[in-house]
Parts: sequence; C-alpha cells; structure tokens
Amino acid sequence: MSGKVSRRDFLKAGGAGLAGVAFSALGIGSVLGSETEASGDGKNNVEELVYVCPVCGEKAENFDALQKHFKEKHAQLDAPASMALHINGADVEVYVEDHWTLRETLQRAVGLTGNAKEMCDRGGCGSCTVLIDGKPALACTTLAVECKGKKIETSEGIAADPKYRPLVEAYVKYDASQCGYCTPGQFTVAKYILTKYPNPTQEQIRTELSGNICRCGTYSRHVQAIQEAAKAIKGGNS
Amino acid sequence: MREFTHMQAYTVKEASQNAARGGMVIAGGTDLLGTLKDEILPVYPSLIIDLKTIDGLDKIEEEGDSLLIGSMAKLADVAADDKVKKHCQALSEACNRVASPTIRNMATLGGNICQMHRCWYFRTPDDRFHCSRKGGSTCPAYMGDNRYHSIFGVQNGCIAASSHDTAPALIALGATIITSNREVLAEGFFAANGYRSCILEDGEIVTHVRVPKCKKSVFEKFALRRSIDFPIVNCAAALGSGGTIQVVMGGVFPAPLRLTAAEKAVEKGITEASAAKAGDDAMADASALSGNGYKIEIARAMVKRTLLRLEGQKA
Repeated sequence: MSGKVSRRDFLKAGGAGLAGVAFSALGIGSVLGSETEASGDGKNNVEELVYVCPVCGEKAENFDALQKHFKEKHAQLDAPASMALHINGADVEVYVEDHWTLRETLQRAVGLTGNAKEMCDRGGCGSCTVLIDGKPALACTTLAVECKGKKIETSEGIAADPKYRPLVEAYVKYDASQCGYCTPGQFTVAKYILTKYPNPTQEQIRTELSGNICRCGTYSRHVQAIQEAAKAIKGGNS
Repeated sequence: MREFTHMQAYTVKEASQNAARGGMVIAGGTDLLGTLKDEILPVYPSLIIDLKTIDGLDKIEEEGDSLLIGSMAKLADVAADDKVKKHCQALSEACNRVASPTIRNMATLGGNICQMHRCWYFRTPDDRFHCSRKGGSTCPAYMGDNRYHSIFGVQNGCIAASSHDTAPALIALGATIITSNREVLAEGFFAANGYRSCILEDGEIVTHVRVPKCKKSVFEKFALRRSIDFPIVNCAAALGSGGTIQVVMGGVFPAPLRLTAAEKAVEKGITEASAAKAGDDAMADASALSGNGYKIEIARAMVKRTLLRLEGQKA
C-alpha cells in the first residue's frame, strides 16, 4: 500500500466528526473536490478509485498493482475472474465473482462508497440507485456480471461532472441531505430527472424519486434543489 | 449471497435445459436476488441462468387482435408502450403501479407473474419456518400474524396472498401465458405450487404473454405506501366482447381470484347501486383470519371503485 493518504481515506476517518459543519463551514470543495479540480480535464473523474484486494483488503493504485499484489501475497489462491466495467466514463478492470452484486463490486473492488453503501440490500429503499445505460437501477439487486458493456454512473461521477456542478451546489444550498445516507441514490435519480425533463415539475420529481426513501424526511428539499439546478443547467452549462 | 455460477443463455432451449438440471433463471432479479440473500429456499441453486441475453424476448408487438409481449419486457417499457396503453389499459396501469420507478426499470413482465409469494413466514431467512410450501407440515400464518394473508381460504395448504400486480389485469383481459412448452390461459396459470406461485414445472420458462385487445379495462390497487409497496388488495376489470365484464382481484387468495359473483351483479350495467352490490356479493364468501378482517372491507370498496371507474372510462 502506498503511504499516501487519499482524500477518501481522510474523509472516511474525519467524516463523522466533520459531517455537521462540512457543508457550511468548510464549503463543498473540501467534501466533493474543488470546482477546478473536478472540471480539470472535462471528463468524469475516476481517479479516486481504490482497488481493494478481495482477500486481505490491501489497497492498490490500479488493477495491475492489485494483480501483482495478488500473485505475490496470495500465490496459493486462484485469482478471482476479472472483467471490465464501464464506470463513470472509464473502463475499469475489476475482480468480480459471479454472485457479487454491482453494489458489492463497486464497494469491494474499486472502493466507491457513495451509492455502494449497504442499506436495505433488498431493493426496498433506493439508496444504492445508480444509472445503468442512463436509467436508474438498484445496484444491490443487479449482478455485476450482468453489467458487462453497460454504462454505469454513480453519484461520484455525476458530482465530478462540471455540467452537474449546479446540482451539487443546489443540494448543498437547500441542505437536501440530512444524515446523508440516502443522498447518493436521490442524487443519481436527480441527474436522471434533469436529463429526462428540462423543466421538471414538483409532481414529476416526486414521482421519479418515489422509490427513494429518506428517514430524515428531506423530500421537499430535493424538489427545490432539482428545480433550481434545472434552471442553472439549462441557463449556462449545457 | 452464497456462491453460484452465472451463465448467459442465448436461446430459450438452452435456458430451459439448464433450468431443468437445477439451475434457477433470473430476469430482472428484483425478486430472486432477495430470496437468495435470505436463503429462504431449502435448496440453494448452484447455477443462475440469465434470460435477458436471449434475443427478441423483450419485444412488444401487435399480432392481429392481440398484443404479443415478450416476457423480458421491462415493466416500465410495457407501461409506457402506446399499443399497450391503447388496447390493454389495465395492463399498462398495473405495470405502472408495481413497486417504484427504479424497480420498474429493472423488473420484467415475466418476472412479475412468476415472483414468489410475499408471506413473511415463507420468506423468513434461513428456512426458519419450514412451512407447507417448502415441504413442511404446517402453515405458521394460521396461528401467527396473518394481517396480509388470504381472506378466501387455503390453496394447496397455503394462505399467502398473491402479490403480482400484473396478474389480475392479465386474467381480466383474458391473456394467454406462453411458456417454453405450452400455452396456458392466465386464469389457470397462478397457484401456490411448491415454492412457485404459478404452475410452471422444472425447466419451464415463460417466453411471451399474449393479451387480446380490449376496448375498456382498468386497474386499481391499494397499498400501504403508494410509492413502492406490494398490494394489500388490487383489482382489474375489463369489458369483454358481447358486453360481459371480467372482474379479477389479487391479494385476497394465494392466486388472483375471478369474482364471478361481482360479474353477475353488474350483468345489466354498472350503476352506483349495482357496483356496490357487486362488492357485497363478491365478499359474501370471504372469511377473515384472526388479523385480516379489514381486508374484506377494503376489497369490497375496491370492487365498487374499479367497476365505477370502468363505467366512467369511455371507450
């Protein structure tokens, strides 16, 4: 493992304590990356993927390093099968087992923690919603092996896309996440709503988000945030 | 989930041969993966066969006087299809009320009609209640918490309530279920049968559903949370040729139930009074368990509401 502490590790460690003040006091830059960083190359950013060894949990910079680690440290074991997944605009080689769900794969194999958190894990709450070929789908009820050749978008990728920066900002402005557990799922569906409706009405937003359950009750704020983002995205960004 | 091997099927024959050898087929996966995670079945499958890779099984086509819908058509696509909206409105409405929009993007029509029952004893993880559906001798729901169970008695030792939203619509519309080796009328397709909720045998796969066109048909559903829940009671009504009316109710018996008494009550036309009588007549034979008497009242009102909507909806 490299000695470098990634921003993700830092946020994971400090997340609990910082959560209350992060959005307001530190600004969104420290949580989601600064705007300049996000729009650096104009592409969705997948730099923060962390390749995790399925046996010992050791983290590697990329798939080659992980393969090398596996051969050196776990020579007695057969390496799991690997496949290419198209995550947030990049082809990513991941170790995957037939019985892994997409949620497990995103979390275990490449260390994504937004949509890939385990919530109900039965398709009942919507917190793991990702976009597969542009349409919302539940990562916890999708087998990773069935996603071959499909475009997977997670909240991390959408947040890093400069076009959807106004959506992130609107979510912060209206404090649409409270405890934040369901937010990545709501946020991915929000992006889908913005691509489907240029001027989403309250009813359209509520209908599309009806599979996403929020125990804090932030529902009305999503409507406000998405409507404001729709104006900003239509006005200047696209 | 425990380990299994995953294979992609490219023909129905290939899928059905492998399913006959003990594999389980996966369509949208929204029901199957939950049952695998909870290990509710006594036998855990070693092979999962993906049907979504079979070419052409997700088409919705017009075929003379009926629509031929592939079993792998996504519920969202069926609900949004103009042909279905125009000729089989009840099916479109039913597909639009299944679970949440996200699940409708994944779940398929074939999967919806083949999903397992939602009885919480049947679905308790690790086969802790070895109920009559899994080869046990008793049904724990009889003396247990049966608030969501059948109000029309037992079928094959089971009192779970059917929870497919599309089933009442398909039966009311007189649909035919086409499997890999036969064609069955939808009315005879659903039954508590081992762990299955339909009459499929090992290795048999639903490939298409043929739905006759119908001028007027409606679907109504009552669920605790409108946005995502399984039905407490749902009901579909369709106007058949010659002015007959088919009324089918789900959530009240292990299979969707054709309400012939209600159909008889509205033979001479639907009015406020005859629709109310239809509800009363349909519930005359209902018998509540210890915890589900309220469902009879909901079902009674649901029959009336569905019929009045059918009358109000001009062809």
